[in-house]
Amino acid sequence: MTEKRVTFTTDQITSYAEASGDRNPIHLDGEFAKSVGLPGVIAHGMLQMGLMATVAADAAGGPERLRRLYCRFAGMVEPGDTVTFAAETTAPGRLVLSATNQRGEAVLTKSSAEFA
Amino acid sequence: MSEAGATGVAGRTYPPVAFEIDGERVAAFARAIGADAADGVPPTFAAVYSLGATAPQLFGDEEAAVDFAKLLHADQEFAWERHPRVGETVTSRGRVVSDTSRRGMRFLTFETETAGADGSPVCRSRALFVIRS
Repeated sequence: MTEKRVTFTTDQITSYAEASGDRNPIHLDGEFAKSVGLPGVIAHGMLQMGLMATVAADAAGGPERLRRLYCRFAGMVEPGDTVTFAAETTAPGRLVLSATNQRGEAVLTKSSAEFA
Repeated sequence: MSEAGATGVAGRTYPPVAFEIDGERVAAFARAIGADAADGVPPTFAAVYSLGATAPQLFGDEEAAVDFAKLLHADQEFAWERHPRVGETVTSRGRVVSDTSRRGMRFLTFETETAGADGSPVCRSRALFVIRS
């Protein structure tokens, strides 16, 4: 089992928005986020997937070995949340992935990867 | 407003988009996800060169009528033939695979095929977007 624990920050979400080009205001503007029914700014699903991929890459023996990655975004992640990303090899070249917040809630479900 | 947008845009394709894999952008992306840019282009930089290059065509398509403020990214798959290198230019083509509504929510599956300069496949991205009503 390969694991990484990450506490999300607004700085990290902002950095991801800048680097990825995904500047949807739900990730950057708390008032806007609330206006569309969210508790405040939330992390990009793709930021969660990016972090998940680094753990999958460690488990696979290097990022260049990843051939497929699937993530289902099941729960919101807010600044201050601590998420444990885990990858477990279940068969040759196959990883089962999970991401669970500090309340024990899965934020990524049915997630998996394949590597060569 | 016409009902045409609500009946779906399944099958719609968008023109190819070229994207140069820029070293500084890759380094900033790697930092943001806690990866080491020395290990090469992070696999999920596909969120930028593949999905990110083409999704704005869907979101900006008036006939597709995607309400961006109510959009949730429900799931995502990337499948790679190989990972691109810094300095190369890749080309991506986006396509709406399905567009359905149920229980007051709209489900859009958007697929992007990314190829290298010689036309050989690099990555396939498949995103499910849910638009709340």
